[in-house]
Amino acid sequence: MARRRILVTGATDGIGLALVRRLASRHDVVATGRRDIAAAQRLLPEGVLYIKADQSRPVEAAKAVGRGLLEIGWRELDFAVLNAGTGWAGSPQDEAAKSVRETVDVNLAGTVALAHIMFSFLRPASGQLTLIGSVARSGSSQFATYAASKAGLYGLSRALGQEWRGKVRVQLLDPGPTMTDMHEKAGLKTGWTRQWFIRPDDMAAMIEAAIRAGTTPKTLSFLQYVSGASIFGRTIR
Amino acid sequence: MTAQKRALVTGGHAGLGLAFCRALTEAGYAVTALDRTAPKSAVPWTHRVCDLRDRAHVDAAVHYLTAGEPFDLVIFNAGVSATGRFEKIPLEVHQRLIAVNVEAPIVLCSELARRGALAKGGHVVFISSLSHMTGYPGAASYAAAKDAIAIYAKSIRRPFRRDLGVHVACAFPGPIRTAQAERHAPKGAKAQSRIAPEEMAQRILAALRWRRKVIVPGTRARIFALTGRLFPKLTARAMRRIVFDRLDREVW
Repeated sequence: MARRRILVTGATDGIGLALVRRLASRHDVVATGRRDIAAAQRLLPEGVLYIKADQSRPVEAAKAVGRGLLEIGWRELDFAVLNAGTGWAGSPQDEAAKSVRETVDVNLAGTVALAHIMFSFLRPASGQLTLIGSVARSGSSQFATYAASKAGLYGLSRALGQEWRGKVRVQLLDPGPTMTDMHEKAGLKTGWTRQWFIRPDDMAAMIEAAIRAGTTPKTLSFLQYVSGASIFGRTIR
Repeated sequence: MTAQKRALVTGGHAGLGLAFCRALTEAGYAVTALDRTAPKSAVPWTHRVCDLRDRAHVDAAVHYLTAGEPFDLVIFNAGVSATGRFEKIPLEVHQRLIAVNVEAPIVLCSELARRGALAKGGHVVFISSLSHMTGYPGAASYAAAKDAIAIYAKSIRRPFRRDLGVHVACAFPGPIRTAQAERHAPKGAKAQSRIAPEEMAQRILAALRWRRKVIVPGTRARIFALTGRLFPKLTARAMRRIVFDRLDREVW
């Protein structure tokens, strides 16, 4: 079993953090996030390298990740998991310009910028680019801009999958509701429904299995959970 | 006598946007056009110079547009393209494309709604692309942007109808015979098979009168859309052969 070189963005919270904690002992992992290095290192497992990259400034963030990888001597990546995301919840006619821009920057422009920079790292290793979408990408009246940004990731994955065929595999994964802080941060009270959400650890297991399988696009929600994807799913080797 | 209806068209300087401005002026609308380019000669509508890549310009446009009477029809038409291999197109070009094609229309739409600048009983139309149905290798960021705007339109349709009484539609035009399309088309693509902008504008406006929410103008486009829906992977692969494999350069 080989140690793979894996990049995970948005890795200081929620699904990203759970995924890094899951992968860290078996693989070489670089994590990125908007938190300061000291705060990130308290959260991340030992041995995980951290690059501070705030995707609300998409180009700067992507370039910082590219530079950071070269500084630690990584010229190749086996997997890049672009997971960083944010959102705003409420009626679309109440959403202000500021939050629209934040969501489009972090979720769409930031991911496009990183995909652009990651190509030169993934290409030599014939690696795999995994974008974390959402089940909301088919439309959501409560998360209109968020849904739009995630739909954009589908369009990106579909086009790049064809453009990079034989060079870099491109995959989109669509997690369902997960027990992270995202809903509260977005201003949505989840209430009693929250107990039905999938735990971040389980979602991370489902994501790892889906990355290994390579299927795209792939929904990771209740149906996949009850069919045992978090327990029986395979691991990245 | 009823007051003159007001329409807003983004990207009104050329192509489909210009066709919308002409058709709506002829139909009796008071039209406001936003475009980064000023018209060379006088036009019978209000033209405001606004570079949608620039946040300060967009914010200024919001103030300008919400100062007067509300709009009965808003067409988010402005869009730019970038064709070629994704990694060969400069990063900054992809960012500008997302700013113009995704961020600007969503910011304008939500701010117009928030400030009561959309008239009850009016229409909001987003111009997405047939690529939403077919995929578009060779224009990855453009495809991403057009998917995003299509799903934004779909997401706001119900709350806008319920809370504001505004009808939201999204159009998915295939190739149009414009200078922009000409620049981005792959080698050997036939210009005759593209629909003229005037005809495209008429078709979209006609579909609005029927209160259509999904507008796919033209039989060819409808066949492509249906194929794309039924066989998404096959269609994306075919698009790779039709478009991506024939691109010999990067254009933005």
